[in-house]
Amino acid sequence: MNSTPRMLNRVLILLAGLVLLAAGVLAVLLAAVPSVTAWWRGWAPQAALAAGRAFEGARVPGTSLSWLWIAAMVLTIVLALLMVWWVAQQGRGRRDLVAATAPDGGAGPGGSLADGEVPGRVSIAASAVEQALRSGLAERKDVLGTSVAAVDFEGSTALRVKVVARHGADPGDLAAEAERLVASLDSVMGTRTPVLVHIASGARARLSRAERVH
Amino acid sequence: MPEQDTDRPSSHGLDAAVRRETTASRSFLAGLVAFAVIALCAYVLLESTLQALGQPAWLIDPASAARAVAALPEGTNRGLLSLVGAVVALAGLVLIVLALRRGRRGRRALPGGRVAVVVDDEVLASALAGRARAAAVVRPEQVTVVLSEREAVVNVRPTSGIPVRAEDVLAAVENELLRLRPEPYPVLRVRIEGTGVVGA
Repeated sequence: MNSTPRMLNRVLILLAGLVLLAAGVLAVLLAAVPSVTAWWRGWAPQAALAAGRAFEGARVPGTSLSWLWIAAMVLTIVLALLMVWWVAQQGRGRRDLVAATAPDGGAGPGGSLADGEVPGRVSIAASAVEQALRSGLAERKDVLGTSVAAVDFEGSTALRVKVVARHGADPGDLAAEAERLVASLDSVMGTRTPVLVHIASGARARLSRAERVH
Repeated sequence: MPEQDTDRPSSHGLDAAVRRETTASRSFLAGLVAFAVIALCAYVLLESTLQALGQPAWLIDPASAARAVAALPEGTNRGLLSLVGAVVALAGLVLIVLALRRGRRGRRALPGGRVAVVVDDEVLASALAGRARAAAVVRPEQVTVVLSEREAVVNVRPTSGIPVRAEDVLAAVENELLRLRPEPYPVLRVRIEGTGVVGA
């Protein structure tokens, strides 16, 4: 539930796979199949020579530098930067605030201040919600930890609540408890933020003993 | 029944988010591929810069590399070339499969009203194991639950001399599944092992 570009990931990984597969199959065929070797000899050496001549011929006047080399270097730099951008897109879309009023906006028509309102801005941080949910779930013996992240979802903010459950916890009961807590949070915050609860089993859950009392 | 729940949009309006949460984003693989391409670009850049400045090449200069590739398979051990080719092709095939296959993440959705709920398969398996243990009246170590995308297999090793009725275990676990209604809903199988545990 973040804005990781999943389709882009799939397409680029597929592309990389296709390139590797093609190169590998070509290498195997070159080593093992004589007819492929003959076909490769028919054009590859000439192509390499032609490329070499092209690089030699495209000199920048007055220097020994070929502009084809400069173009190739620019291309590799651009490709590397695109890859850095791609990595930077992973796991993006986190927010600090769950909800905020417009700056100095009032509840009156056109954002004007209604009776009894003063100019100002109210914002609710994700950490506040985390504190509230954590203290709400703290009494439960089957919960090992709670964390809350505010994320972009379809243009607005949604909450992603991760509850690490102890071994043997009842997920239905935990979901109901989380739903009850979120409903009471709604009334405290005055907004209805979409909430996704992820009941997880972390490394701590695996190491902890099961609740033996049923 | 659970099948009908998939068609009806749920009240929390987070169906797309639930889909995202229960499938893999492949971001680790993306980072790996990006890192490999960046490393390759850096190497090509280094060699072409050395070439442009008229310095000696670090590993191989671009012209010699082009000649060596064009002259394949001469100049190399054919066995080694085909081995390297096979490994590279296999890596490519793995990437293609991982890109095309539906990324499973070992999670499923539970029906939710105000909030959307996603649960790890391990948590669900542990809950089912608890029910199976209570129905079979055995110790927790005697029950294992293996949960895959379509199937939940409950293995019970009965205590020696005390028979366990498979129907009771099946009914109890099915009951729990019907209560939780996970999506995708697994087909349930119960196996009672023939050999018992002594002194449990």
